[in-house]
Amino acid sequence: MLDIKDLRTKVGDREVLRGLNLQIGPGEVHAIMGPNGSGKSTLAYTLAGRPGYEVTSGSVAYRGKDLLALAAEERAQEGVFLGFQYPVEIPGVNNVYLLKAALNAARKHRGLPEVDAFEFLTLVRDKMKLMQMDEAFLSRGVNEGFSGGEKKRNEILQMLVLEPTLALLDETDSGLDIDALKIVAQGVNTLRSPERSIVLVTHYQRLLDYIKPDHVHVLARGRIVKSGGPELALELERRGYDWLLTEAA
Amino acid sequence: MSTASTETLRRPNTRDENWKYANLRALERIPFESGHAESGTLDPVDVPQRLASRRVVLVDGIYNASLSDELPAGVTVKTADSTAAPNEQSNSIDRYFSELNGRRRSETLKVQLAAGSRLELEILCIARGLGQPALAIDLATNASLTLIERHLVLADETLSTATHCATNLAVTVKLAAQAKLDLWRWHRLSGKSQHVETLDIRLGDGAECELVQLTSAGRASDTASSRSTAFVRHEGAGNLRWNVATIAEGQQNHDAYVRVEHAAPGATTRQMFRGIATGRGRIGFNGHMLVTAQASNARSEQSLKSLLVGGEAEANVRPQLEIYTDAVTATHGATVGKLDPDMLFYLLSRGLAPATAESLLKWAFISDVLARLGDSKARHEIEAALVEQLPGAVAARGEM
Repeated sequence: MLDIKDLRTKVGDREVLRGLNLQIGPGEVHAIMGPNGSGKSTLAYTLAGRPGYEVTSGSVAYRGKDLLALAAEERAQEGVFLGFQYPVEIPGVNNVYLLKAALNAARKHRGLPEVDAFEFLTLVRDKMKLMQMDEAFLSRGVNEGFSGGEKKRNEILQMLVLEPTLALLDETDSGLDIDALKIVAQGVNTLRSPERSIVLVTHYQRLLDYIKPDHVHVLARGRIVKSGGPELALELERRGYDWLLTEAA
Repeated sequence: MSTASTETLRRPNTRDENWKYANLRALERIPFESGHAESGTLDPVDVPQRLASRRVVLVDGIYNASLSDELPAGVTVKTADSTAAPNEQSNSIDRYFSELNGRRRSETLKVQLAAGSRLELEILCIARGLGQPALAIDLATNASLTLIERHLVLADETLSTATHCATNLAVTVKLAAQAKLDLWRWHRLSGKSQHVETLDIRLGDGAECELVQLTSAGRASDTASSRSTAFVRHEGAGNLRWNVATIAEGQQNHDAYVRVEHAAPGATTRQMFRGIATGRGRIGFNGHMLVTAQASNARSEQSLKSLLVGGEAEANVRPQLEIYTDAVTATHGATVGKLDPDMLFYLLSRGLAPATAESLLKWAFISDVLARLGDSKARHEIEAALVEQLPGAVAARGEM
């Protein structure tokens, strides 16, 4: 699904990713953990094609394609989804319109006709029920006036509607109370399938109580310094990151 | 006829503070002083669908009975009549075009509503050649008017005047106590057309006036320009909302000067401007708030924002406060910015094409103004027309 080799990324003058290697197979869920400033969000933004995140060397193959050669919108159309840590508010752009436009952009890319209005609304309502969201959210501006938790749920709603092949969820658990965390986790879990891969960027083990990862990686100083199974997250919870940083040094 | 003579006036030039950003060079080429021009015949099929239950059509400022409905009660056409006297403190240079209009117009469309009466009316002003339309609105106590004032260019390319299709409009509004006016103004220019206008609005005690205005030209290739000058005077504790959205593309230039005078205690003014300039487009908005010594407890809010898309676009947005009393609440904000890169990336990350994402963000930028039109037919028509300019934004309003 995703093969990252020796990836180096600069943000401004600062090199944040410094030779990162990571392989993600189809159907796998990977958790990326690490201390503040280690490059977790930079990895997510780099993979999603955010301007200002300059790849200076390395390669990223996504389903056999050179991901780095694609523009941000092309990556999305190819099935890459970024769930934002801080979803932006866009007053004046209707939430339901964005959902429909995004879905149709992906369908057009795959050579499919635009989604029928009735079919679309049925789909969205179904997903909203799962995310325990009020339908009134549909007619509001994108994330406009949403609480932190509502924004995160809205991100997962978008993901459920778009059904990406690779979901990059950047600290989706931050700012969520325990009930909202369970709802978000439930949404993510419904998307798990043998054809879909999920990358969870997180600080905390608690998300992984609800979304069981296949692999856990520790990102520090721009590189993966340790990989393991779900037990690694529990060990990090107990011991913190210092021991790993010492080992890596 | 107007009381002042144009011989005593001079044309404004760019050295005049309130005219610095207007496209005066284009206006100089228009022979407004000579009055009207032949505009040829108009094919009714070119006239758009109505936006209100009753409609009056003016072609180059002249009432066109065949295209209009029967005039409702209170609506009359007066030949060579003058509009209300202008506000005393207005600068004569700023009144140059309204004075010309007073000299050269041949008729005035009057809307006079008796106390307590109500009316919804569309006035469609079609520009084909050279026109000097005049509207006079007079609402008695508790009268209520929703007026959709729509300006459309349907230039006849076979006429020589098509090269300088131009309108010089004068509007006077007088609202008695507790009168209510919703004034929805839609300027849709095209080609090389020029539009210049002067509005005089007086609000009595408890009167309410909400203006919602959209100015744009149809295509980015158009070089149309407009200049709007408005003088508003609170003569009692009235309530004014002034909402304007402007889009200038290509080499278009849309400029406005709005002076709101609080001359009595307790009046409120809320002013919102949203302007988008793309390509080499220029927008200007000068919001001048004058609070006199008599206007205690005045309240004034200004939110003036402009968006520049492209390196050669230009915006000149100025809030201007002139306050002569301490008992006043006045806030103002003016910004000039570019498309928000975070918003843009968010939309791209959802698979939207860059052009669609940009259109959506432009749409979003003016949505505060469009929202003031409520769920009206006028809003739907305006939005449908805007889609031509902002491709991809077709369903930003949430249509399925």
